[in-house]
Amino acid sequence: MDSTTKPMAASKLKAVDVSVFYGEKQALYDVSLNIDEKSVTSFIGPSGCGKSTFLRCFNRMNDVIPSCRVAGQIIMDDVDLNSPKIDPVLLRARVGMVFQKPNPFPKTIYENVAYGPRIHGLAANRQEMDFIVEDSLKKAGLWKEVSDRLNDQATGLSGGQQQRLCIARAIAVGPDVLLMDEPCSALDPIATSIIEELISDLQNRFTIMIVTHSMQQAARVSQKTAYFHLGKLIEYGDTKEIFTRPQNEQTEAYISGKIG
Amino acid sequence: MNDHSNSVSSSPGASGLYSAPTDVRMAHIAAGLKKRRAASKRLRFYGIMAIVTAIGFLCILLTTIISNGYTALQQTEVAVVIEVPAGEILDDAGAIDAEKSRNFNWAGLVKRSFRKEFPEVTGMLEQRSLGELLSANAGYDLRLQIEDAGVVPTGPVTYWVKASDDVDMLMKGRMDRTIDEKMRRIKDDQLVWFDKTVAKDNIRLVFNSTFFTMADSREPESAGVLGAIVGSALALIVTVVLALPLAVMAAVYLEYFAPPGRLTDFIEVNVNNLAAVPSIVFGLLGLAVFLGFFGMPRSAPLVGGMVLALMTLPTIIIATRASIRAVPSSIRDAALGLGASPMQTALDHILPLAAPGILTGTIIGIAQALGETAPLIMIGMVAFIVDVPTSFTDPATALPVQIFIWSDSAERAFYERSSLAIMVLLLFLISMNLAAVMLRRKFEKKW
Ligand SMILES: Nc1ncnc2c1ncn2[C@@H]1O[C@H](COP(=O)(O)OP(=O)(O)OP(=O)(O)O)[C@@H](O)[C@H]1O
Ligand SMILES: [Mg+2]
Repeated sequence: MDSTTKPMAASKLKAVDVSVFYGEKQALYDVSLNIDEKSVTSFIGPSGCGKSTFLRCFNRMNDVIPSCRVAGQIIMDDVDLNSPKIDPVLLRARVGMVFQKPNPFPKTIYENVAYGPRIHGLAANRQEMDFIVEDSLKKAGLWKEVSDRLNDQATGLSGGQQQRLCIARAIAVGPDVLLMDEPCSALDPIATSIIEELISDLQNRFTIMIVTHSMQQAARVSQKTAYFHLGKLIEYGDTKEIFTRPQNEQTEAYISGKIG
Repeated sequence: MNDHSNSVSSSPGASGLYSAPTDVRMAHIAAGLKKRRAASKRLRFYGIMAIVTAIGFLCILLTTIISNGYTALQQTEVAVVIEVPAGEILDDAGAIDAEKSRNFNWAGLVKRSFRKEFPEVTGMLEQRSLGELLSANAGYDLRLQIEDAGVVPTGPVTYWVKASDDVDMLMKGRMDRTIDEKMRRIKDDQLVWFDKTVAKDNIRLVFNSTFFTMADSREPESAGVLGAIVGSALALIVTVVLALPLAVMAAVYLEYFAPPGRLTDFIEVNVNNLAAVPSIVFGLLGLAVFLGFFGMPRSAPLVGGMVLALMTLPTIIIATRASIRAVPSSIRDAALGLGASPMQTALDHILPLAAPGILTGTIIGIAQALGETAPLIMIGMVAFIVDVPTSFTDPATALPVQIFIWSDSAERAFYERSSLAIMVLLLFLISMNLAAVMLRRKFEKKW
C-alpha cells in the first residue's frame, strides 16, 4: 500500500504468469512480460485474443466484471497489484485509463477534468483546480480548442476532442501509468494523428500501454510491442525487431496481414 | 429451407425454385405476396378493432362518471329573509360574542324566518316538514356567514342558505316527481312549497364551493372532499419520504454491491414477487404489525402512508434498477477508472443520469398508491371524519376511500358527489401521469 502512494516512485511493471478466466472460459494463459518505465508498449493481435483483458489487469478494472477472475501477479514497484492489500481506488488514481469509445461524463468540459482531482482531494482551492484543469488540457493538446468554452457540455465536442478530453481527465489525477484501449478506433485519420503525437509527447512523463489494431500505429508510437494470439503472449520485444524480424511465424503472418 | 440446402449441396442447378430462372422465381414470390398482404391487412384491422373497443369502453366510463357527477359542482340555495336579533349575539362593545353566537339557536332562527314565507302552514307536523326543505346545517351556514361578515345587520335581510339534499336533487331534475308519493323522498305538500319558492324566484343554483373546502358530513350538501384530499396528501408524503430513499438505496445495492449468489437471487425474485402481492395483504400486514404490534394510531395518514410505502417500494425499486441499467456502462467505467469509489460512482454519475427514470417510476408508484383503497380500509382510514386533518396522526380518510364511503350511501346526493370525487381523483392521477411523461420527455438524454 505504502509504495503505491509515493507519487513519483519508479513504476516498473511486471506481469508474472497472468491468467484470466471469465467464468469457466479462460481468456489469458500464463502471460509474463516486463513493461519499461516512461515508454510506450503496444499490445497487438487478432480480435478476441485478450488484449483488453490483459490491459485491464493493470488497474484491476476486471474486478468490475462479476464473472472475471485473475490469477498470477502484476507487480508494480515490488508490490503485487492483485493482493487484497491493494485498494483498487488508490491503484486507479495511479494507473489511468482511456477507453476505446470516448466516454466523457455528460457534464461540462471543466467538470470532466476536475472530477478526478476533486474526488481525490488534489486541489486545495479553486485556483489550484483551475491550474490542474488548464495544465491537463494543455498536456492533452486540447487547451487551445476549448479554453474559451470550459463550461460547455463535453458531449458537444467532436469525437477526437472528446477522446483528448478523456486523456486530459485521466492525466488530471496525476497517474504515472496510462492504459489506452484502442483510443483511436472511433476517430478519423486526422484526429488519430493528433492523438499519436500526443502519445509521443506524453511518453516522457508516463508509462503508457496501448492496445491497437493498427500495425502502423504500433510501429509509430511504441518502443516495445507484444503480440497476443488466442489468449497467449506469442512474442514480445522491441517494436523495430517485431516489425522487421519477427521470430515467430504466427507473428509474421499477422504482421504481414495473413491472419487477423 | 430444405429445398434450398438440397439444391445447393446435392444437385446444383437441378430442379427447385432456388435454381429456377429469375422470372419463375419472381412469379412465385408475387403469387405468395397477395396472401402476405392480406394477412398483414387482417392483423391491422384486428389491432384497430382492439383499440376502438378499448377507447369505446373508456369513453362510456368517462361519460357515465361525468354525467353523474357534474351536477355536484352546483348546490341549491334558498333565499330566506332573516332578522338577526343583534342583542342576543353582540357583546357590550357591539362586536360579535363568540360564546353567545355559539349558544344561539341559529337553526331555529332560519326555520322560523323561512316559515314566514308560508303563513298558510300552521300545523306542527307540517311546519317540521316545511323546515326539511332547508339543509339541517342551514343554521350553521348562516352563523358562519354572519361571523365572517363580522357585523350583524339591523332589520330584515335576505340570506341565501343551503337547501336540503332532496330539494337539491329536485332542482337538478334528478328526482322523479311523478312516481307514487310513498316512493318519493319529497312529499306532495313539500312539492307545493317547493314550486311556490321557485315561482317566487327564491331558489338558485350556485357553485358548490363547500365540496372543495370541507371534509365529510352526514348531510350531502355540507360534505366535501378537502378532508380526503388532505388525508391522501399526508399519506402520500409519508409514502414518498419512506419509499423513495429506501427503494433507491435498495436498487443501488442490488445493482452495484450485492455479491452474486443465492441470497441476492432470492432477494431479487422476491422484490419482483412483492410487486404482484395484492394490496389488501399489505393492509393486513399494516393492521397486524403497525397497529397491533407497534400500537400506532388507527385511521392515521402516517400508518396509511407506511402501508402504501411498502406497496410502492417494489415499483420504485424495479424502475430504479431499470434506469440505472439504462445508464451506459461506459460512464461507470470512466468514473471507476478515475479512482472513484463505487459509492461515488453511483452518487455522482449514475443516479443523476438515472434520476428522470427514478422520478417517473416514483410518480407512477405514487399514482398507484393514490388510487389504493383496500389497504387503507384495513387500517381504519375508512372512518367518518368531519374535520380536515392537520397532522400525520390525526384521524383521516383518503380520496378513494371517501368515494367508496359515499357510493355506499343511500342519499342520491352522495352518489352524485362520489362521481365528482372520482373526477377529482382522476384529475390528480392524470396530472401525475402527465408530469411523469413530461419529465421523461424533458430529461431524455442522448449520449
Ligand atoms: N465480460 C466478459 N465476459 C465473458 N467473456 C469475455 C468478457 N470480456 C471478454 N471476454 C472474452 O475474453 C476474450 C478476450 O477478450 P478481450 O476483450 O480481451 O479481447 P481483445 O483482444 O480486446 O479483442 P478486441 O480486439 O476485439 O477488442 C474473448 O474471447 C472474449 O469473448
Ligand atoms: Mg479489446
